Amino acid sequence: MTPVWIQFAMTLIVGLPALAVVLLALPSWFGVRFRENTIVVVLGAAFTGALLATLTVFVALLCGDAQAIETNLGAWFNVGHYEFEWRFVGDRLSLPFAGFSAMLIGLVGAFSRRYLHREEGFLRFFLMLAIFGTGVELVVLAGSIDLVFFGWELVGLTSALLIGFYHDRPKPVEHGLRAFVTYRLCDIGLLGAAVWLHHTVGHSALVADDPWLGFAAPPGVRDATLVGLLLLWASMGKSAQAPLGGWLPRAMEGPTNSSAIFYGAISIHLGPYLLLRSAPILESAPLVAYAVIAIGAATAIHATFVGNAQTDIKCALAYASMTQVGLIFVEIGLGFRYLALAHIIGHATLRSLQVLRSPSLLHDHQHLEQAMGGTLPRTGRHIERLVPKPLQPWLYRMALERGYFDTLLVDGVAGGFRRLVLGVDRADRRVSAWITGEDPAAHEPGEREGRDPDRRTGSSGEEGER
Amino acid sequence: MISIASLFTAAILLITARIVTGTTDPALARHRASWGATIALAVAVIFLVLDVLSGHPTSRVLGFDIGVLPYGLLAPTNLVTCALGLLTVSMSPLATHPPATLGRILVLLAIAVAFIATQSAAALALLWGLSGWVAWRELRSKTETHATARLFARFQVPSTVLMLAGGVLFAVDAPLPAVIVCLLSIAIREATIPVHGWFPTFVQRAPLGLVVAFIAPQLGVYAHVLLLSGIVPVGLAHGVAILGAVTAVLAAGLGVVQSDARRALAFLVMSQTGLVAFGLENASIVARSGALVTWQVLALATSGFAMTMAALEARRGTLSLRAASGSFERTPRMAVAFLFLGFASVGLPLTLGFVAEDLLVQGSSAEFPLMGFALIIATAFNGMTVMRCFFALFSGTRKHQGERDLTRRESWALTVVMALLLVAGAVPNRLLRLQGDNPIEQRAPD
Repeated sequence: MTPVWIQFAMTLIVGLPALAVVLLALPSWFGVRFRENTIVVVLGAAFTGALLATLTVFVALLCGDAQAIETNLGAWFNVGHYEFEWRFVGDRLSLPFAGFSAMLIGLVGAFSRRYLHREEGFLRFFLMLAIFGTGVELVVLAGSIDLVFFGWELVGLTSALLIGFYHDRPKPVEHGLRAFVTYRLCDIGLLGAAVWLHHTVGHSALVADDPWLGFAAPPGVRDATLVGLLLLWASMGKSAQAPLGGWLPRAMEGPTNSSAIFYGAISIHLGPYLLLRSAPILESAPLVAYAVIAIGAATAIHATFVGNAQTDIKCALAYASMTQVGLIFVEIGLGFRYLALAHIIGHATLRSLQVLRSPSLLHDHQHLEQAMGGTLPRTGRHIERLVPKPLQPWLYRMALERGYFDTLLVDGVAGGFRRLVLGVDRADRRVSAWITGEDPAAHEPGEREGRDPDRRTGSSGEEGER
Repeated sequence: MISIASLFTAAILLITARIVTGTTDPALARHRASWGATIALAVAVIFLVLDVLSGHPTSRVLGFDIGVLPYGLLAPTNLVTCALGLLTVSMSPLATHPPATLGRILVLLAIAVAFIATQSAAALALLWGLSGWVAWRELRSKTETHATARLFARFQVPSTVLMLAGGVLFAVDAPLPAVIVCLLSIAIREATIPVHGWFPTFVQRAPLGLVVAFIAPQLGVYAHVLLLSGIVPVGLAHGVAILGAVTAVLAAGLGVVQSDARRALAFLVMSQTGLVAFGLENASIVARSGALVTWQVLALATSGFAMTMAALEARRGTLSLRAASGSFERTPRMAVAFLFLGFASVGLPLTLGFVAEDLLVQGSSAEFPLMGFALIIATAFNGMTVMRCFFALFSGTRKHQGERDLTRRESWALTVVMALLLVAGAVPNRLLRLQGDNPIEQRAPD
């Protein structure tokens, strides 16, 4: 039986960031204006508290002989056989992840105090960061896929909104939407896996496994493969794996500090985290393990080449992140779980620092050259040596075009879908026009504006908005 | 059983409608309408509390069963409809909602509440037709919506006739034909594909307050629950569930590609009504509960989303999704409400929408495992539609177009609705228990 104070500490890991969300959001809705310092203190206190709580639980775990510490706050809702439980699990996988997430979010909050000083969206940024932190801690400590999905959604939403942080420019908004569309498509995998686990296993909770808890594998290989592939699909979207990773370099349009925490450190590693939790499923379905290795290796190779052709530092770092996460996928597929966890923590820490320093690149470069006493040597020569000369121009073109994945996905798949659905929509409008005896053009997009004069009233503001 | 609370709130709404219609100043009319809706909401809250505290008392008077509120799933419906009423009249822009329109909106809401008050098939059929007639009158009252009124009538008249026929068939004890004609009637009213032709045009051209008051109370769901629960044969129930899933997915796909905000809204609503239809005809109690919660989410969150869109449209004019053309910083509260309500309607965590989505999807796995994936795809697409609308309407420019943020009245109405979604989302078991252990009876054998 876990002592109550440890269970309380575990609850605080999620509860404190959630409390920060409430403290910042609720008064703001009622018109309270916070000072910048107050916002930073609320966020800092929440994540420092969460870090201390994590350390407390981790020490308790190391001192005890249990594989995991569990806290069950009871059912959120239950109908018939189905129950959604607030069950948190702290083990050797989740606690290190929860701890370094709280630490990095707190540090990025402290960094952002100056970086976003007097920025219009100061509160918005910190609020998003608090929601993101709550989502991450929920994903990490979740005792079931249902709860993972809860946090996963929060992470996706805040990610898209922070990419579009500079909302007065069209490009960040466009890229935020693209990231969100990718997330939503891949979330189908996570929710689908949860449904299929309930269907085949009867629950989606974590069960005992070595060296840490994992999702129970369905009894048959076919079902295990299906669930595994769905989880892989969910991970690919969040971790920007090929061919879905086109959103990642675009996501760098967001503020540097959010890029650091999302795409350098935490959000991008949630995919591997999910796969580490799914180890029993990967063991039951070798095909899924092979697919994880293949996707990871393909992403690593693709991102290495494309990253070397990038001309701006944030895009280069984005592809460097993709490469490393690809390698982590390979490690997970091969079953090297501790290596993958160490790789995640090391990579997240280093990459977030690199992204945070990226606006000072020229300054740092100059200092380095001064220290070296000369020009720094050119990088990437090993690739030139490895790739035959005749192939190099072709490969360079491929890298510049990002492997043509964007063209294939955006113009081919998404464009094809759009054209198909718009065709259905046109037919639908024509049927409506036929029924009313109107000119079909009246039902076409863009025609309505000229026909509904009352709908444009109030555009100057006064009459309509009262 | 006749519900006293529903009759009482319906009376308040009708009296308010009479007062509002007789007011010539549009601003004063809306002020009075908001007060009337607030009183109705307060009364609904008091009745709900009294009903829960007193253990749902009933008595028999003149051969009728009389209760405070209908028992089971309909207990919170009165409250939800009154909250919807407050939202609709408080957010209706003056330019497109003169006193006569506001009056008709209140009448539609009163009909929706009265619908809950009774369980008689004949009364339901009459109220069904009456609500269609009130909405049609509004469309006929303006020259620019004559064609829409024609389209509306060509769908709603058959729907009413079918519902009346269903009532007659139930009276002469011919349940199977009655079930079939009632299902057809409900399918038309709920804009189920392929009998949805009237709906996108109706949403695009009618005043949004009227659209919300006509659609959001979901009389079809109530009629379905009351008249058809437990008597739809398995084969037919499967057909309805599949049709609901097809509507949910197709409409969600159509919503994503729209370039007009109102048309995107129309398909979002259609997709959600498809989800409700799917859940109602599912054998699993989890899915059926999910359908009923989705119904309430549709009435609160999607309506709030629609009315925030109406408020923005009044400030900016026709809303296009072709390019981002708004500014979050100029109207932050409106943007936050729009985003919150939009995502609450498609399953934002910790709101009632998440509970609805989760129950619906998880409940579908036993009977229709593959359809469960269709529902997941539909909710994914609906989320994209909401985010696309948000980015297009509240970002993309720094220009100040003279738009002001939410007024106090609008803020109040939206705060009530958002609070209801959050509170019900935080403690959903209370709501689910109100709906009873078995929200809808098991279906009939084939």
